[in-house]
Amino acid sequence: MHSNAEYTIDVKKPARPYYWKLISLLLILILIFILSFALGRYPVSPLELISVLAARFFSGIPVFWEATVETVVFQVRLPRILAAILVGAALATAGAAYQGMFKNPLVSPDILGASAGAGFGAALAIYFSLNMVGIQVMAFIGGLLAVSLTYGISLRIKHDSMLALVLSGVMIGSLFTACISMIKYIADPYDKLPAITFWLMGSLASITQRDVKMAIIPILLGMVLLFLLRWRLNVIAMGEEEAQVLGLNTKRLRTLVILCCTLMTAAAVSISGLIGWVGLVIPHLARMIVGPNYRVLLPASILLGGAYMLLVDDLARLLASMEIPLGILTALIGVPFFLYLLLNSRWGWK
Amino acid sequence: MKLELANLGCGYGQRSVVKDVSLTVNEGEVICLLGANGCGKTTLIKTVLGLLKPREGHILLDGINVKSWSCARIARVIGYIPQLHDPPFPFQVLDVVLMGRTAHIKPFSSPSRKDEQIARRCLEMLNISHLEDRVYTEISGGERQLVLIARALAQEPQILIMDEPTSSLDFGNQVKVLSHIQQLSRMNIAVLMSCHFPEHAFLYSTRVILLNEGRILYSGAPAEAITAERLKTLYGVEVDIVTVRNRMNQELQVCVPSRHLTAENEPPQTMERRNRYALACSSQ
Repeated sequence: MHSNAEYTIDVKKPARPYYWKLISLLLILILIFILSFALGRYPVSPLELISVLAARFFSGIPVFWEATVETVVFQVRLPRILAAILVGAALATAGAAYQGMFKNPLVSPDILGASAGAGFGAALAIYFSLNMVGIQVMAFIGGLLAVSLTYGISLRIKHDSMLALVLSGVMIGSLFTACISMIKYIADPYDKLPAITFWLMGSLASITQRDVKMAIIPILLGMVLLFLLRWRLNVIAMGEEEAQVLGLNTKRLRTLVILCCTLMTAAAVSISGLIGWVGLVIPHLARMIVGPNYRVLLPASILLGGAYMLLVDDLARLLASMEIPLGILTALIGVPFFLYLLLNSRWGWK
Repeated sequence: MKLELANLGCGYGQRSVVKDVSLTVNEGEVICLLGANGCGKTTLIKTVLGLLKPREGHILLDGINVKSWSCARIARVIGYIPQLHDPPFPFQVLDVVLMGRTAHIKPFSSPSRKDEQIARRCLEMLNISHLEDRVYTEISGGERQLVLIARALAQEPQILIMDEPTSSLDFGNQVKVLSHIQQLSRMNIAVLMSCHFPEHAFLYSTRVILLNEGRILYSGAPAEAITAERLKTLYGVEVDIVTVRNRMNQELQVCVPSRHLTAENEPPQTMERRNRYALACSSQ
């Protein structure tokens, strides 16, 4: 039993068919990525697009396009596309990890109050005219405060723990939403108020290269850490005591996962505003496609979250002559989808 | 590997549940913990597993105090088989068994091919290889309990601890699970389990520990330890211990409650109602 020499029968089986699913998701993301450059008010033909992109990497490509094309592709569309992928991937990954860690398929950054907390922090930072770093730090502190409060309160409710977490999340969420309203109420109506309001509705319209550069570090940091820890999320989803008996330091893992998720949520919220439902819906969609094993579910959530957000942002740009705020669109798409999941719950988790 | 509890006292917070328990578990032994609900079986098990801190006394593995051991280090020696429960996500059976490898896998990595091989080998040992690709939440209770045993085996433990491993199983599955557990002891794994039925202790254990109100009442071979008198102390009911012969002409002990519910001591209204019900049925 103790030495591996006893395992004489070498049971070899082919790798499980996860990889082609992940590769397809990656291909879908790449497809939407390329497509998104061409879509928009200012037309860019496929040939122009390919040449402009290629010119970045190879010299000697004859310049036949107007200078505006280059500006549109690199100054306007590229930051926005990257931001959409980052925000979607961050929210979806945080949602997936929160769900495993709280062994509760009904939680997400918005339901746990993390988004509202981060939103409050960011709104406060805007109110005090802080810079991008200030907004991110405040968003992180607000998000962490909100999640800690939610989790702490749910532990004190002795009944149904799954419901307790969701309910305390809703309470903390509305508390922070009320605080946001308070800031809006006292904010300067000509300058700060429109900024806060527009940003709260969720939008990537005014994203700049600098915003992307600021958000990419915390999001990638959280994502890489969670990616490395992803298998352990399976174990902790079996329950605190069981995971501990299996040899998992649950306290350390829990702290690390909460920090990573909140960091990613805060970074996403600070560049895009409040975008709901992505963190709840995408992990479920990913679970439908690749199953509940976090080894595959986490990368699938990253890819799917990025692709979904990019697609929704393209819709936000194209559907009407005026831009539609992202938060409105994700709710319009997310709510019916989640209702469908609830009514056919076999698909979602059980 | 020898597990030793020395004057162990345990409980939750200020409340002391188990007092002054000393016992030794040796290789190849199957030890049954018997006792009424609330006598401290689960508390004792949780303390041995490191989930609760001992209030007093020590837990020793091969003479070494485990006080400062990490949960991973304990998990490489002691495997645990919990009671059945529903995980929130429909994991595949192989993934559940792979979780047994947690203590052997580095913090920032995932199971390797070798870990998968060990997990498959454990499924094979329990003759449930066919369940590998099935969904854990969709298989039967008996199968799930076997999967949990396979998961504990994947830990490559020297001591297995179980808390009422058969409590939610039907009769057939109880027998199957317990005989698998007995086989494990032949691989020199020590087994410490709490159980509900004195008969299981007669059939499958090499030693019985009777736990009464947090203290050891008696510890010894099943035939000596389990007497009508002690069962009365433990559970507060009159029991007859009867020796029977099975078809292989082996002697076995069974416990039968001395007073059982018969028609005589049923309240009369019930009889009346029953008669009325019988009449109503026959007239239809």
